[in-house]
Amino acid sequence: MNAELQYEINRFYYHEAYLLDNRKFEEWLDLLTNDIVYRMPMRVTCENKDGSNISENSLYFEETKKSLTTRVKRLRTTSAWAEDPAPRTRHLVTNIIIENGSADDSLSVRNSFLFLRSRAGDAGIEQLCGERLDVLRKVNNQWQIASRKIIPDQAVLGVMNLSMFL
Amino acid sequence: MSVKTRFDRAFDRELLKEIQEKLDQGLLPQWLQTDPDIYEMELNNIFSRTWQFLGHESELKQPGDYVTRWMVNDPVLLVKTNTGEIKAFLNSCTHRGTHLCTADFGNKKTFTCPFHGWSFNLDGKLIGIVAGNKVYGEAMDKEEWALRPIPRVETYQGLIFGNLDPNAMSLEEYLGDLIWYWDIFLKRSDGGMEVRGTPQRWIVNTNWKCTLENFGGDPYHVPTVHKSTVELGISPSDPLYSSYGHQVVLKHGHCVNVNVASPGANLPPYQGMPEEMWSMFERNLSKGQLDVFYKTTVIVGSCFPNLSFHCPIHGSEGHLHNYLTLRVWRPLGPEKIEIWSWFLIDKAAPEELKENAYKGYISSFGPSGTLEMDDTEIWTRVVQASKGTMARDKYLSYNNLYNYMMGMGKVEPDSSWPGPGTAYPTCYVDFAFRGIHEYWLELLAKDME
Repeated sequence: MNAELQYEINRFYYHEAYLLDNRKFEEWLDLLTNDIVYRMPMRVTCENKDGSNISENSLYFEETKKSLTTRVKRLRTTSAWAEDPAPRTRHLVTNIIIENGSADDSLSVRNSFLFLRSRAGDAGIEQLCGERLDVLRKVNNQWQIASRKIIPDQAVLGVMNLSMFL
Repeated sequence: MSVKTRFDRAFDRELLKEIQEKLDQGLLPQWLQTDPDIYEMELNNIFSRTWQFLGHESELKQPGDYVTRWMVNDPVLLVKTNTGEIKAFLNSCTHRGTHLCTADFGNKKTFTCPFHGWSFNLDGKLIGIVAGNKVYGEAMDKEEWALRPIPRVETYQGLIFGNLDPNAMSLEEYLGDLIWYWDIFLKRSDGGMEVRGTPQRWIVNTNWKCTLENFGGDPYHVPTVHKSTVELGISPSDPLYSSYGHQVVLKHGHCVNVNVASPGANLPPYQGMPEEMWSMFERNLSKGQLDVFYKTTVIVGSCFPNLSFHCPIHGSEGHLHNYLTLRVWRPLGPEKIEIWSWFLIDKAAPEELKENAYKGYISSFGPSGTLEMDDTEIWTRVVQASKGTMARDKYLSYNNLYNYMMGMGKVEPDSSWPGPGTAYPTCYVDFAFRGIHEYWLELLAKDME
């Protein structure tokens, strides 16, 4: 166990969450490799005998750097109503497990997320939790996200939309 | 002692007449949207009597395949039997009512209740009772304790519907002339449409009529709610761009908007579908349908009470393609819905197109779609501002009326339109909204003393 590496990766995720929660989306894009695979399959309810409860061909997101950039540009228009007035968001990241550190410049990292969103004057908080499976790659001595799979825990999403980045 | 408030008003002949008069003037009382009493009447008079979408045949491929669905609050188990027939049962054990199967889908030979172990086969028959003979005796007639069938199950071109009213008119009669428009996408290619994966599901704090209207008759919202795509240069800047085409009002509250490209815009025929499929379209559609389809960019509409459909031309990175999304707006109360969204594409389409079309769908529609995420915000706001005294006053003292007047006395039906129904030569009209509410009111008024 490399404590220094764990610390470095934890810091990376905290920084990422800071950028997203402070709407520094362009800087967040800089954390992604140009060939990023950003994917969010659906969680389904199925019997244990039927195996995985992740439906790999039913998706919420199947994004490239280009399509994520378009989504960011959209948020900078004057009429992205889901995000204007901007909801307040909190990306909480925990259970960060570095799964394989064999190569110096590539890591598989598993982590849990809790996303909270406060919209307009609603006293209630919308929330979404789940797991992220990332591949981080070192590019020019900086960690970047080369691949992200977001697996929500809810089979029926309790959030009204997925206008956030996870 | 009970206090009579301006929200307490019996739904009697007088009130009905008043609503009808308003509707005739292109006005709809705002309180009707989320009134709790109206909601209960809707469950009883509409959702218990009309055809509701349950799923698509392509979701059930093998005998034993099942999916679980809801008809508002009734859990439904939809199964493919050993003979290939599709059956629908109340997904509730006949013994003590337990929700029998909670999985979204799967394959089974028998459904066993986890409470006391009663088990049912694919035909719904009770085939096993734990310690049966010893506790109930030989005389118990298992036939009497079979799963309760959804009274009516009928399909059209792969679309499976259920109806809780055993005396309801047939599905085909109910759909009526909507079929002519549905065939343009359901029947155009050999083998029809198929569902990819499982439906997306999410919760929005709005009323089911709000979303039904949005898909059924509201191309007018497009340039404003989806203005971000105009700003990005993805959608045309002409504020009339989603008006071009026809809005068609059909019987039983159904409605369709058939959009064409803006004048001068150069878009490929048949919604950008590949040329190798055109001969199928020509073979499977009538001349009138083909003429309409040739120029169509978007077909969007609603099948009363809570199914909508949207079949757009969609561009991403230079490629244009087309797909179908079906929506169920499942009411979870007067101010809450669960949205179910299916993605469908022609079985006969090239694999690459299927994949690109799916990417196009998730980038624009569903909870992650850049178009629909803004819709959800607006739908929520409609309900949010309808909770107060001024909105809910049933005596209309605050002019609490929606404006459904667009096109009234100004736009006449287009008699040259090749399709059935009453077709208006623009989609910026409120004829569909009024059609939805005419039928809605007719059903609410049924059995009135």
